[in-house]
Amino acid sequence: MDNNMNANDFVTLAHGAGGRQTAELIDRVFKAHFSNPDFTGDDAAVLPVDAGKIAFTTDGFIVSPFEFPGGNIGKLSICGTVNDLACMGAKPLYLACAFVIEEGFPLAKLEEIAAAMKKTADEAGVRIVAGDTKVAGKGQVDHVFITTTGVGQLTEGVRTSGAFARPGDAVIVTGDVGRHGCTILLARNEFEIDADVTSDCAPLWGTVKSMIDASRDIHVIRDATRGGVGTVLYEIADQSKVGIRLNSADVPVAPEVRGVCGMLGLEPLYLACEGRLVVFAPKSEAPAILEALRKGPYSASAAIIGEVVADHPGKVVMTTEIGAQSLLPQPGGELLPRIC
Amino acid sequence: METAKQIIESYDGRKLRVMEVCGTHTHEIFRLGIRRILPPQIELISGPGCPVCVTPAGYIDEAVMLALEHGAVICTFGDLIRVPGSEMSLAGARSKGAAVKTVYSPLDAVDFARENPDKQVVFLAVGFETTVPAACLAVKKAAAEGLANFSILGANKTMPNAYKALKGSADAFLYPGHVNAITGTAVCEDLVKLGVSGVVAGFTADEILTALAVIIRLSASAPGEPFFRNCYPRVVRPEGSPAALKLMDTVMEPCDAEWRGLGVIPMSGLKLRPAFAAYDARLKFSLPPVAGRSNPACRCGEVLQGKCKSTDCKLFGTACTPLHPVGACMVSNEGACSAYYQYGDILNG
Repeated sequence: MDNNMNANDFVTLAHGAGGRQTAELIDRVFKAHFSNPDFTGDDAAVLPVDAGKIAFTTDGFIVSPFEFPGGNIGKLSICGTVNDLACMGAKPLYLACAFVIEEGFPLAKLEEIAAAMKKTADEAGVRIVAGDTKVAGKGQVDHVFITTTGVGQLTEGVRTSGAFARPGDAVIVTGDVGRHGCTILLARNEFEIDADVTSDCAPLWGTVKSMIDASRDIHVIRDATRGGVGTVLYEIADQSKVGIRLNSADVPVAPEVRGVCGMLGLEPLYLACEGRLVVFAPKSEAPAILEALRKGPYSASAAIIGEVVADHPGKVVMTTEIGAQSLLPQPGGELLPRIC
Repeated sequence: METAKQIIESYDGRKLRVMEVCGTHTHEIFRLGIRRILPPQIELISGPGCPVCVTPAGYIDEAVMLALEHGAVICTFGDLIRVPGSEMSLAGARSKGAAVKTVYSPLDAVDFARENPDKQVVFLAVGFETTVPAACLAVKKAAAEGLANFSILGANKTMPNAYKALKGSADAFLYPGHVNAITGTAVCEDLVKLGVSGVVAGFTADEILTALAVIIRLSASAPGEPFFRNCYPRVVRPEGSPAALKLMDTVMEPCDAEWRGLGVIPMSGLKLRPAFAAYDARLKFSLPPVAGRSNPACRCGEVLQGKCKSTDCKLFGTACTPLHPVGACMVSNEGACSAYYQYGDILNG
């Protein structure tokens, strides 16, 4: 232990026991950062409901390492749930978050995580209104795990689903692919490769809103998290019973990500993103959607990477850099562990 | 000027069989769809250049024995874990309690041995001239530090005699650029004298296409005349890497080696020199000779020699898939059967 630190600087089992120290932890970390009128400290948040429909989702986060270039598990836990809501065309409204913290975890790190959550929630326009904290014994969790649950208000006239892709749709990605997966891979220091790669982790409701303001005729919006864009494409080809053609030259990949993938023999399309969407919309709508996307902070390099066809349903065929056609390999069993 | 791609696409000469002898080439050729632009007279054969694919079942048996009977911690490149042995793979051994650890470099295994002095650590040294220097370095390091709990189970292989053994399988070889970066090109010049043709190729789309186009041109201009060209000069120098060669020669010496599917090829392997015998796991643990058994229906051996295609094997895609491999060629991403499985069926099944 660092000489300048004392036992009060670490999370202890007492912090999770429900007594005075639990209250102190909540005051010091969570109330200090998450404060808003709907976050009351009662057993449940009481919230107004508008007419229309809500979207409702939950996601657990166990990323290792818990901090990485471009974010930490706190930012990731907000983005993940906010983006799942956004993909349904729902404006994120409220979040609940549950923490499982390992005994001995530094309080200063917990505060950094909470601060990142608050900042990201503010940016996404969502309020954290309920939470829970548990402390597990040393070695029972890896530092900290977070689960977030979110509610969003569905936008009228927008209906997206992985089953709605149709022949003639353009396939759009909202930015360069594979950054988050690549960042986590390098942050683990297992490969002794130095490369300047930052996670794309970002809250994407603004990105989705700019698209649905440009066109309501959008068939599919998916965030390309675990398994990356390639896995999402295979899922949609399967759900919609269509074929997908990609042009490999059009897939945006940052040079440093391409370099790392080249060294490790990885396909960037199968590396996770945490701030990228895959969008299917009729080709006639694609220019307006693309124009809107390119004005946004997280989608300046948005691109059309392919199209939906009636041929070869369930398969993703790629035109390679030599102009030949090749099957994009099916998602394999060797996904990177614990990237989100 | 005609591009390499045009030269390949417009070839209308006699039948030409080209063997790529490097798993990375196999994978890139499939990924890029190069087979789909070839005229029917040109046949590409995926040769025995993926270290995992040529690892015999008996070697896996030895590793399993070290783990389960001698309690050694096995450190290995990840690909080997699922290669089937006679009874089980290392993954199977792990489920019976064996300690099997994935490493990315042999030096990681040395580090692990140093940090765990109470454990016997065995590194599985497979691979060609590209990976041999790192294994040699690991042994030298362990020797310099006096680590008594580190050893290697050797199955390193060298290409020259394999080319001779495979001479009749192809009209020309696409030599593995990374191997030649270590060994230099004298090996290939010598093969020309024995009537074996080939070109050294790099790994980008342009480099692979160029190498194929050069093979086509040279075969057409003087039929039957053996040839060699270095088409990867930015990386491969005629003398190779003298430092790596010296290191290899200090630590290892040639020996006969068994290749899965091809049998024993004389002087095609490397073993530790007597001075480093203390780091040879076979001697250290007095392993008995092991005759491994592969699934008799598996045709990996014929695939590696171009005698049949992956799709001709009746296990392919049914009993044998990347998730449940029967043969070694289905295990590694760079194996011919795995590449066929992943990239093979396209528009017409």
